[in-house]
Amino acid sequence: MASSFKINEKIYNKLLELLNDAYFIDSKGNINDFQFYHDDHWLSDSAVIDNLVYKKGEWNIELIFALHNNPLKFIKRQIVSYSCSKKANLSASLMRRMAAKDQRGTLEVKAEDFKICHN
Amino acid sequence: MYNTKERIVNASIKLFNDYGIASVRLQQIADEIGISVGNLAYHYKNKEAIINSVYEKLFEDFQQILGAYLKTPSFLDFDSQISYYFDFFKNYQFYITDLFATEHPLPEVRQKWQEFMNKMIFQIRKRLDFHAKRGDILPQPEATYDIIAEAIWITIVFWIPQQQMRTKPVTETRFKAAVWNNIRPYLTEKGVSDFSTLIIPIFV
Repeated sequence: MASSFKINEKIYNKLLELLNDAYFIDSKGNINDFQFYHDDHWLSDSAVIDNLVYKKGEWNIELIFALHNNPLKFIKRQIVSYSCSKKANLSASLMRRMAAKDQRGTLEVKAEDFKICHN
Repeated sequence: MYNTKERIVNASIKLFNDYGIASVRLQQIADEIGISVGNLAYHYKNKEAIINSVYEKLFEDFQQILGAYLKTPSFLDFDSQISYYFDFFKNYQFYITDLFATEHPLPEVRQKWQEFMNKMIFQIRKRLDFHAKRGDILPQPEATYDIIAEAIWITIVFWIPQQQMRTKPVTETRFKAAVWNNIRPYLTEKGVSDFSTLIIPIFV
């Protein structure tokens, strides 16, 4: 028979006490605990743009999540890098399709349209 | 549909209950599920391997019951745990000989029983603390709670064998009533009302 994990009696009792206390200590959460959800809610309705950046001999795939009605509201995330550009291209398009709400991409938003100033 | 290994383990449990672990032969187990001893030997090389599997299943089941501690903060939680204990001790009736056997084919089994039974008593004891803190049970000295916990444990573990010894019916309702009767005298007014709304309707 496989020997299983054993717990010290004192610690087991302490654990049970903590379980008991959970029902007396736990209180209801506040509505503002969910603020993070509201803060990130716009992401569910964003356009996704895939962007390939050649850096240190590798093609980095970046996904840009942009709100289509407010182009200044966007975030950029670097996902992964490939040493082959074709592979990177293919992965980037697949990732964009997976991440985007509008998978066919008719709600297209181009990075250039944002007229981002790199200075 | 069970696979053969499971069928062998289940048949062994049944035969161990009826005849005791020591007296059951491989032929009996094979006959019980209608396979040949050769086929049985293909799945388990000897009786010890079967006993091993049976205990693995037994302690896994026990672990599951112990894991059901205080999932909800009410009497119902204990009531459902009592039901699990009833099924468990009814299913593995050979445990009673294990508890008093001086020797066992698997020495670590004795130790495991001891460990699990201790955990069981601790759980019952802490459950009393929980309900006392919640105002369901009258405040009592610690020593009294210890005694109540032990009495509950004795009822859970030995109620089924004593009924069988006296050839009395073994029913879940009577089992539960026997266990709850240890606690009922100590219930507060709130405890009594909780008990009569939550637990008594299930008894019927």
